[in-house]
Amino acid sequence: MLRALFGAVAFALAIAPSTLTAAEPRDLQAIVDGQVLRVALTRFDLPAFHVRAPDGTLTGPEIDMARQIGRALGVKVEFVDSAESFDGVVDLVAAGRADIGVSKLSQTYERLKRVRFSDPYVTLRHALLFNRAAVARAAAGRPPAAVLQKFHGRLGVIGGSAYAEFARRNFPEAALVEERGWDAAVDHLIAGGVDALYRDEFEIRRVLKHRPALNVKLGSAVITDQTALLSIAICDSCTKLQEFLNYHVGRSRGAFTLQSLLDSEGTGSR
Amino acid sequence: MTLARGHNGLDALSRSINRPSITLAAVGLALILGALRPPFLDYLRPVGDFYVALLHICVLPFLLATIPLAVRSAMASGSAPGVIRSLSLWVLLMLAAVAAVSVVVPSLFLAYAAPDEGTIAHIGALIGRSADKIDVEFAIDARQPAAAAAGDSGIMALIPTNIFASLSANDSVRVLVFAALFGVAMVLAERRSGHSIFDALRHIQAVCALIFDWFNLLVPIGIVALIAPQIALLGPDAFTALKLFAYPFLATSALLLAAALAVSALALHARPARVFSALVKPVMLGASTRNSLICVPLALDTLESDLKVPKEPCELYLPIGVATLRIGTIPYFAIATLFIGVLMGREFSLSELGLLAFLAAGASFATIGVGGLAALAPLAIVLRPFGLSYEIAVPLMLIVDPLAEIVRTMLNVGINCMIPSLAAGRRFAASAGEGA
Repeated sequence: MLRALFGAVAFALAIAPSTLTAAEPRDLQAIVDGQVLRVALTRFDLPAFHVRAPDGTLTGPEIDMARQIGRALGVKVEFVDSAESFDGVVDLVAAGRADIGVSKLSQTYERLKRVRFSDPYVTLRHALLFNRAAVARAAAGRPPAAVLQKFHGRLGVIGGSAYAEFARRNFPEAALVEERGWDAAVDHLIAGGVDALYRDEFEIRRVLKHRPALNVKLGSAVITDQTALLSIAICDSCTKLQEFLNYHVGRSRGAFTLQSLLDSEGTGSR
Repeated sequence: MTLARGHNGLDALSRSINRPSITLAAVGLALILGALRPPFLDYLRPVGDFYVALLHICVLPFLLATIPLAVRSAMASGSAPGVIRSLSLWVLLMLAAVAAVSVVVPSLFLAYAAPDEGTIAHIGALIGRSADKIDVEFAIDARQPAAAAAGDSGIMALIPTNIFASLSANDSVRVLVFAALFGVAMVLAERRSGHSIFDALRHIQAVCALIFDWFNLLVPIGIVALIAPQIALLGPDAFTALKLFAYPFLATSALLLAAALAVSALALHARPARVFSALVKPVMLGASTRNSLICVPLALDTLESDLKVPKEPCELYLPIGVATLRIGTIPYFAIATLFIGVLMGREFSLSELGLLAFLAAGASFATIGVGGLAALAPLAIVLRPFGLSYEIAVPLMLIVDPLAEIVRTMLNVGINCMIPSLAAGRRFAASAGEGA
């Protein structure tokens, strides 16, 4: 009896964010009528995408993009930056607590079951940051690509990110380790807790750019047939808003490129 | 190569210009200019390229004439089996000795050298800067076609299916195989019919040698114009960061060259200083042109005329030996592996050092007929059995390659010049006479 009660409480807590605070999703006209566009963001910074200035002001290309969309709609923009994870941003949009979500979000099968996405505003290739010695040992004389393609070592991904889903699909033989954040994941790799990290080409290059000494211990690999489509999350029923955002993304195509992202971002990381 | 040149004045001028002191002074000047990097260095590059182009003019015709003549000489005298047996034995001994020295000397050096954090950071920055910042690319979908291997490999790379194509492509290995095969067939055909074109070949050889004599007047200029810009490519910054590779490599190479000179002197019963004075020309020509085959005519002339080494082993061995035995690559691969091992914190047991020596010698054969970045690919054969990353080695080796290429060619020429002296043995050396 006590166990059943405990289970019920645990279940209620687990679904609380999406059920207790769910709101009615708003399509384009409702947003215009309400005079405010609510934009969901991660609570943590994503350098080169959005960061907080020392005074707490949000800046970065994703913030600029959200403001441009607000201007195009003729409404003010309100940021809802309480998401603890990338999936948390999707949760906010799916629950109707935000109209759109922009936090370097990749389209995934699981997310598409809950929200819809705009056309991608940037496409990044999937990549691995790996411990050279561990991979060379596993390769036993073969090229590293042979090991990485069928990776069966310990593979770190950020918990609640699209890469957890990508990893299960692309590296089914790997032992997945979900990390709290990117900094912790990189530290874990350096300490030998995992053999490789899985994320996009930008983040992998960024680590090696800011910590060049790691080039000796860590290698980088790009997966040529897997891309992350970074898009704006939209409520599942908001077709008109999706059309509007696709038009905006199409007009600003080229604003985000791998090189411009690498050149623009600061030295912080997450 | 005692060819009737009929140009005593030119010969005297060539010997005067190519005195060891002038050659070494040119090398010294080139090193200083390369280190100082004066702005006019860029103007020297075309001069160097022009000089190499001149030397290329007659290399293949010279080899096409020389090898059949050497084959005929060996077959006619009946000494061919003995000479070939002797050459093969010394080649095997030389490969074993070079491989052993290439592993032992740098191991001793690196045993007491551990890179500090600053050096590791510096090297890491060099890797990130010089590579395309991504080490490996692969596809999850295994059905995606892999990149097709370019060109022939293995034994097919030796078969001159189209000699004219090989000649026009400057494919020296296939040309040498053709020349050896053609030489044997010409001797046999001559025995049957009594007709041959060997006299014509001898004339072609003499003509090529004469043209080389003209160009040899420019050797000091060529040395400065070719070595200085090459050294300038290697920034002092990179050299400092890679000292764990560069110093053992330079020390081992110097030891191998000195040993080759000493062994040659011993075999020829000549003073080491005399052998050094003679061989400094072809070795430094190798250093400047970074092309071993170009040095063959000068090396043959030096061995036969200056050191009085018999013609037969020289002409039979040197063109083929220089083209197929990439001796400089053995210490290069061995020390690169030990260096990457130090960086990645790997230690080598005695048996692993033996395996490393064997792999480095074996992998050097995989560089036959290739140059540039492709010549670095066989390094993977040496690194990967020890769990060391080839991807980390490539950008680092490319940084030191301007210097390493010079040293590798010097080793190729210097040590290959030692083999005919050893194969000739005492019976020939006795007739050479000290101070001749």
